[in-house]
Amino acid sequence: MSTRIHPVLIFFTVLIYIFLLGPLVIIFGAALSDTTYLTFPPQGLTLRWFENIWNISAFRRTIVTSLQMAFLGTFIALIIGIPAAYALNRHRVTLPASLSTLFVLPILVPEIVIGFSLLRSVTVEAGVPVWYALLIGHTLLVLPYVIRVVSASLASFDFSIEEAAISLGSPPAKTFFTIVLPNIRSGMIAAFILSFITSINDVSISLFLTGPGISTLPIQLLAHMEQFFDPTIASVSVVLMLLTILVMVIVERTLGLAIVAK
Amino acid sequence: MPKFKTLALSSLSLAALLAAAPAAAQTFTISWWGFNGDKLQAIIVDPFQEICGCEVVFETGNNGDRLNRLQMRSGAGVDVIYLTDSFSQTGIEQGLFQPIDRAQIPNIDELYEMAQAPQGEFGPAYTIGRIGLVYDASQVNPPITSWSDLWREDLAGMISLPNITTTAGPMVVLKAGDHAGVSAYEDPDATFAAVAELVPNVVTNYNTGSEMINLFSTGEIAMSMTQDFTLAPLRAAVPTIEWAALEDGEIAVLNTLNIPVGSENVELAHQFINFVLSAEIQQQLAEEGVDAPVNTNVTLNEDQAAMWTYGEDNIARLQRIDYSLLNPARVQWLDLWNETFGM
Amino acid sequence: MKRLAGWMLATPATLMIALLLVLPVAATIGMTFGAPGAGTWGVAQPYADFFTSGFRRRVLWRTFEVAGWVTVISLAGGLVTAYVVSRCPPRVKSILIVLAVFPLLTGVVVRSFAWLVLLGRQGMVNNVLQWSGVTDAPVAMLYTQGAVIVAMVYIFVPLMVLVLVGVLENIPEDLLQASSSLGAGPVASFLQVTLPLAVPGLIVGAVLVFTASFTSYATPHLLGGTRQMMMGTLLHQQAMVAFDWPGAAVVAAIMLVVIVATVLLMTRLARRMNPMTT
Repeated sequence: MSTRIHPVLIFFTVLIYIFLLGPLVIIFGAALSDTTYLTFPPQGLTLRWFENIWNISAFRRTIVTSLQMAFLGTFIALIIGIPAAYALNRHRVTLPASLSTLFVLPILVPEIVIGFSLLRSVTVEAGVPVWYALLIGHTLLVLPYVIRVVSASLASFDFSIEEAAISLGSPPAKTFFTIVLPNIRSGMIAAFILSFITSINDVSISLFLTGPGISTLPIQLLAHMEQFFDPTIASVSVVLMLLTILVMVIVERTLGLAIVAK
Repeated sequence: MPKFKTLALSSLSLAALLAAAPAAAQTFTISWWGFNGDKLQAIIVDPFQEICGCEVVFETGNNGDRLNRLQMRSGAGVDVIYLTDSFSQTGIEQGLFQPIDRAQIPNIDELYEMAQAPQGEFGPAYTIGRIGLVYDASQVNPPITSWSDLWREDLAGMISLPNITTTAGPMVVLKAGDHAGVSAYEDPDATFAAVAELVPNVVTNYNTGSEMINLFSTGEIAMSMTQDFTLAPLRAAVPTIEWAALEDGEIAVLNTLNIPVGSENVELAHQFINFVLSAEIQQQLAEEGVDAPVNTNVTLNEDQAAMWTYGEDNIARLQRIDYSLLNPARVQWLDLWNETFGM
Repeated sequence: MKRLAGWMLATPATLMIALLLVLPVAATIGMTFGAPGAGTWGVAQPYADFFTSGFRRRVLWRTFEVAGWVTVISLAGGLVTAYVVSRCPPRVKSILIVLAVFPLLTGVVVRSFAWLVLLGRQGMVNNVLQWSGVTDAPVAMLYTQGAVIVAMVYIFVPLMVLVLVGVLENIPEDLLQASSSLGAGPVASFLQVTLPLAVPGLIVGAVLVFTASFTSYATPHLLGGTRQMMMGTLLHQQAMVAFDWPGAAVVAAIMLVVIVATVLLMTRLARRMNPMTT
C-alpha cells in the first residue's frame, strides 16, 4: 500500500506459496493417474480411483461415521456451548473467572493426551460403547471453539436490547430466542464451520477411540496407507479438498472469509 | 432469517438421519490384519455374507494392536480373531478366548494334525507359514543364502526389519543371538550388540506386511524379513522379489482362529471357522497366493505349491519357537530394541 | 437469582469438561505415580524409569528439536509472507489469504501424505535432483528428521501467516507514516516500528506452532516411521502396541507439563514484551 515491497521479499513470498500449494496440485494429479501406484505427472487419465472410494466399504462406513461425529458433535457443542458463552458474557460479574479458563482446557491439553485419557476412563473403565465414546471425544474437541467464537460474537452484542424486551414483558427464554440468537447468528455459523472442519480432520483423539467396524475417515486413511500405496488415497484427499473448497465458498458467500482468520 | 433457518434445519435433519445409522442389520465382526483385503473379500467375505445374511465388518491392525484392543474391551466386540500363534498364546493366557466346540466344526478332521489343536481346546490353525528373508534380486547380489546375510555390508540402507512388537520381530533377536553365538534369552547384551550392528543396514522397521510391501514397491528397501504370505503380493508389486533359500532353515508360524469370550454370534463364529477350513476355500486361498493350505484334501500343482510350505515333510522341517520362553522375554526386548533402533 | 441463572446456563458445559476432560486427564496423571517405596525413587519411580532410558530421553529431545526447528522456520517464512501479504492491495490480499486458508482447512493426514509422495526414492524431489544432476542415485529422504521437519513446516506455515497478517494489520498505519516521514527507510521502519509491535503476535504464533508440533502424531508417524519417534508416536506405541499404560501415562504427563509451561511462560513474556501496554 504505502511503501514499496522489496522484490526479494515478493520472490520469497511466491516461493512460499508454491511450497504451500504445489503438493496439493500433485495430489490432484496423482488421483487422476491411470496407474496402480502413485505417480506425478499422471500417466493416462482416469476417474476409477474415485469410484474405488465408493467400492471400498470401509471408506463408505468411515465417511458416514466422520459426518455423524462432525454434525452431532458440533450440534451438541452448540447446544451446551451457547448457553455457557451467554452466561459468561451476560453474567460475567457473578461467575468466577476460572470458569472461562476451564472452557479453554480442551485446547490447552494435547489432543493425543485427551484421546488416551478418554480411552482409559470412558471406553475401558466406564464401558461406554465405541460410537458414543467417539462422539464424546469429538464434542469435547469442538466445544472450546464454539464457546470462544460465540463469546466473541456476544461480546459485541448490546445486552440492553434484551433487557428492554424483558422489561416490556417478554419472557426471558423467549427473548433469548427472538432477540439474542438472531443477533449472534454469524458467530454461530462461524462456530459451526470451524468445529465441523476441526472434527472431520481430527486424528489424535479418534486414534484411540475407534473400534471394530467404527472408525473415522482420517484413521481409515492412515490404515489404508499402510496397506495400499495406490491412488485411492490421493482421490480421497481430493474429495476432502473439494469439500473444503465448497465450505469456503459457503463461508465466503455468507460471512466473508475474514471470520476464519480469527 | 430464512437463510440461517434453512441451514440450521437442514443440518439438524441431516444429523438426525445420520444418527439413525448405527442401528443397522446383524453384523459379524472379524478381527484380522487387513492384509490381502481385496482377495479375502472375494474368497471369504462375500460368499460368507450370502450364507449368513449378515453384514461383515472388520477391525484391522497388527497382532499386538488388535489383541490389546480386545483385552481393553474384556474380549467383547469381535466374533472371530485371526492371530499368529505367539499372540493367540498370549490371548489364551489372558483368558480372552472361549474353547472351541469341535462338534460344530467338522472340517477340523480334514486338517494336518499339527493344525487341528495347536493350543489345546482353543482355536485351530488355518495356515502354516514360515518366517524367512525376501530380497529384490535386481538389487541384491550375490543372492541371500543365510540369516547372517542380514549383516552384509553391501546392504547398507536397504533393509526393513519387522518391529519387535510383530510376530516376526523377536525372530530378529533370536537370529542375532545365533549370529553372536549366544542364546538370546541368556545373554541379551551380546545379542543386542549384534542387533546394533544391523542398524546401518536398516531404513525403517515395519509394523504390518502391507507397510513392508509399500516400502519395496516405492523403492525404499531391497530386502526384508517376513512371513511367506506376503510373497505373492510382493511379487505383484516387484516381480524381481525372491524368497531366500536359507541354508540355516526357516521358522514356522501357525495362524490361528479364535472366538473371543465376548462374541455375540458364537454359533455364526463356529460356522465361519468351519467355512474357512473347508477344502474348497483353502484351495482357493492357496491358488490365489493368500495362505498355505492345511486341509489335506487340497491338491496343488508344482507351481502353486512352490510358494508354500506344502506337504507334511516340508512342514516338519521348519524350526519351531518355544513361546513359553519367548513371550516373557519380549517385554525386556522391547526396551532394548527401542534403544537400538530409535536413537 | 441472577447468579443462579448464570450457573445453570453454564452447568452442562462445565460438567462436560469437568467429568469428561479434567477427571480422565487427572486419572491419567494419577497413574504416573508408583507405589511409595517401590524402587529408589519412590512414587516418582515411573518418571525415573522414563529419564533413565536413553531411548526415551532421545525421543523427548528429538521432539524438542523438531518442534523448535519447525517453530523457527515457520516464524521466518510466515513473517516475510505475512509482511508482503499485509502490504498488498486489498483485492490481491484477500486472494492470498484464501490461498493460505485453503491448505489449513485440508487435513493433516492428507498434507503429510503429499510429502510421503514427494520425498520417496521415486518421488518428485528425487526425480528433480537426479534430472538436474545433483545426485546420481536416489537419496533416502523419508524416515529422517529432515522429512518430519519439512512436512511440519508445510503444515504450520499457513497458520503462522494468518496469525501474523492479523497482527501486522493491527499496527496503526499512522505510526509507520510517522516513522517514514521522520526519515526512516523501509528497513529501519520495519525493524524499529513494525517488528517490536509485532512481537506479542509473533509469540502467540510461535506458541501455537510449537505446541501443535510438539504433540503431533500423524506427521511423525507417516514421515518419521519407527526410527524417528516423537512424543506423540511414543505415547501411541506405549499405549496401543506395548500396552504399557503407566509408561504411556508418563509420556502424556510430560507432554502436558511441557505444553502448559510453554503457554504460561510465553503468555507472560508476550504481555511483558507488548510495547502498547507499557
